[in-house]
Amino acid sequence: MPIQILFFLFSSLWGIFGISQTLHAADVTLLNVSYDPTRELYQDFNAAFAKKWKEKNGQNVKVNQSHGGSGKQARAVIDGLEADVVTLALAYDIDAISEKGGLLPKNWQSRLPNNSAPYTSTIVFLVRKGNPKGIKDWQDLAKPGISVVTPNPKTSGGARWNYLAAWGYALKKNGGDEGKAKEFVARLYKNVPVLDSGARGATTTFVERGIGDVLIAWENEALLAINELGKGKFEVVAPSASILAEPPVALVDKVVDRHKTHEVAQAYLEYLYSEEGQEIAAKHFYRPRLESVAFKYANQFPKVSLFTIDELFGGWQKAQKTHFADGGIFDQIYQPGR
Amino acid sequence: MIFFRLGVLAVWVGSVLFAMTQPVFSEEASTSQKTVEEKVDDLDQKLRILERRFELQQEGANEKAKAAPAAGTAGEAFLFTSADGQSQLRFRGVIQADARFLHPGADTFFLNRVRPIMEGVLYHYYAFTFIPDFGQGKTVIQDAYLDIRYYSDANVLFGKTKAPFGLERLQADVDLRFVERALPTDLVPNRDIGVQIHRDAPNGILTYAFGVFNGVPDGGSADADADKNKDLVGRIFLQPFSRVHFEPIQRFGIGIAGSYGVEHGTPAAPNLPSYVTVGQQTFFQYRTGATTAAATVADGAHARISPQAYYYWGPFGLLGEYVRSSQEVQIGTSTERIKNSAWQATASFLLTGEKNSYGSVVPLRPFDPASGRWGAFEVAARYSVLNVDPDAFPTFADPTKSAHEAKAWAGGVNWYLNRSVKFMFDHEQTAFKGGAVGGDREREKAFLGRAQIAF
Repeated sequence: MPIQILFFLFSSLWGIFGISQTLHAADVTLLNVSYDPTRELYQDFNAAFAKKWKEKNGQNVKVNQSHGGSGKQARAVIDGLEADVVTLALAYDIDAISEKGGLLPKNWQSRLPNNSAPYTSTIVFLVRKGNPKGIKDWQDLAKPGISVVTPNPKTSGGARWNYLAAWGYALKKNGGDEGKAKEFVARLYKNVPVLDSGARGATTTFVERGIGDVLIAWENEALLAINELGKGKFEVVAPSASILAEPPVALVDKVVDRHKTHEVAQAYLEYLYSEEGQEIAAKHFYRPRLESVAFKYANQFPKVSLFTIDELFGGWQKAQKTHFADGGIFDQIYQPGR
Repeated sequence: MIFFRLGVLAVWVGSVLFAMTQPVFSEEASTSQKTVEEKVDDLDQKLRILERRFELQQEGANEKAKAAPAAGTAGEAFLFTSADGQSQLRFRGVIQADARFLHPGADTFFLNRVRPIMEGVLYHYYAFTFIPDFGQGKTVIQDAYLDIRYYSDANVLFGKTKAPFGLERLQADVDLRFVERALPTDLVPNRDIGVQIHRDAPNGILTYAFGVFNGVPDGGSADADADKNKDLVGRIFLQPFSRVHFEPIQRFGIGIAGSYGVEHGTPAAPNLPSYVTVGQQTFFQYRTGATTAAATVADGAHARISPQAYYYWGPFGLLGEYVRSSQEVQIGTSTERIKNSAWQATASFLLTGEKNSYGSVVPLRPFDPASGRWGAFEVAARYSVLNVDPDAFPTFADPTKSAHEAKAWAGGVNWYLNRSVKFMFDHEQTAFKGGAVGGDREREKAFLGRAQIAF
């Protein structure tokens, strides 16, 4: 058969293929691997983004969610969980995905505004209605007879923020004395009877199982508890000082390249910074970055003096190595409470 | 009188003393009650803590259990999965016990295919398959390959597998609608060894494969190459409407395959095909002999092309392909380019309402007579033709022994007991032109049956 006919048939088939591809854009699915307490946030955000993307591009987007302790989630992605995007509790966990998994570049944090943290949070206390144990500040958590609920810093990003918030408070109170900070945190963790693997688990322990006098919690978890989970049963106590928590988000380059979802995944993360994205974050008790939205929701958040991890601990790499690595300070001081 | 006053005084003193003791007694009683309440609260908290720790231990144990290597079954396969889920090993198998009753020819029962199948994936991206075959009294490695699936749109396969060409040849052996494949499959390559880049999308729009192989004669398989020349083989197959939400056109597929190589043969190994009927009786072969003057051998370009298509809608299925194979041949000092062609159309219909497809049939009501379930029944019909180039005769092929045309029609019934077991019953008649002294080769009438288990 002449080569021309063969070429014609081949071209026709490619033409049919091209037409069928353009006639209907395939649906696309993303996987967002996130930390524990963001379930409700991303349920609403995903619906809003899907609607926006459909309006703009005519394509259906389905975002699947995976939630768990931030450290555990990072390990899962390194081990092969095909996350298109990660939205974790701390930059260190995404650094680990970059270094150990090679799945995104080292400069990932500079690719989105505000160090890739579209919203912030802090650490506060959730106490029972009426605050029967009179908890006012960090030092009350270390008193004998107080039962404190906080998750395991080995698996939970929120728990690491909690620990560093307590340590930072003690440093500030004691003029930067690391020894006294260690002693204080050791006394605090002596009052911890149960270590959950993630922040949501700790909330369950405190709110649903009725264990403990105080929950050290993400601000958004605490506000969620008093407004929804346990309405009328709890109060939020803002400590005198706490840590500025900046949970970051990132595109997982190797995965989106394989899945061919780069464009939609990038748009998904950028939409967190949009006005609608910031409104959704604020409604779920995350502190928005956009000034107009932050102003609108200012009264929702307690006034707390905030310090940063860079300021007191020299950054996450140093903090992780000193406190949370195997044999680090947490391993030295933690003993299960009463 | 004085004793009365002393008595009153004693009563008064006693009352006072008694009254003085009352508050002390009450305070002691209320302090003990508070302690008891606090103790109850403490015990309640301890109990809750113990329960929660147990709950978390259970959650941890469940997660560890999920993470542990697992063994089980997946559909018909026996499956072993690594703890991290990135590696998997599957054991499957096929046994086909066939019956072949021919006229003219012998009647026989035999094991057509006996294949233990080992396949799996290592580290998420590296798939492998190993399929030996012990059927027909032989031991053959049918398939053995490594398939690197890092990019789903461009997998790379190294090893021995079906060459990406014939539509019916590429259909799984266990999913055929007739016991034996039709005449066009005589012209297409079977198993070959090489490297190919491919994309498989059984329910998607585009499937393609392009590869470099040793090269095999029509209908043949080989485990090595006798010369330096290699064959290029490629195939594109589209299901352009697979994502359109209109079922009547969803499962229409159309494609084209082509191959090109240069083959050379010797009288001892001519590198040329023979064509067989469904009864596996040879009706065409090139001249053979001990010398180059007596034997036709491959001597030059070998090109094939095959447009192909299928269509499935509900219980109805239709499959068709055309194959043209041209080969430069030589006998003595005579050379020629021989162009043979074949085509087929196969229709099948599932009487019990299952969805027909290029792949497996899964009965809606698996065989269970006690419950009034009889499995799935299918009827099939096929017509196929193979034409040998008239230029082959008489120089390159003996017209008294080799037919120049074969036309076959077939009817069949398939009974699927469940997704693993099926019975097949076919009748096929093949009529010839030429192939006998003074006329046409005798028509072959074949009754074929198969009992198959595949898992």
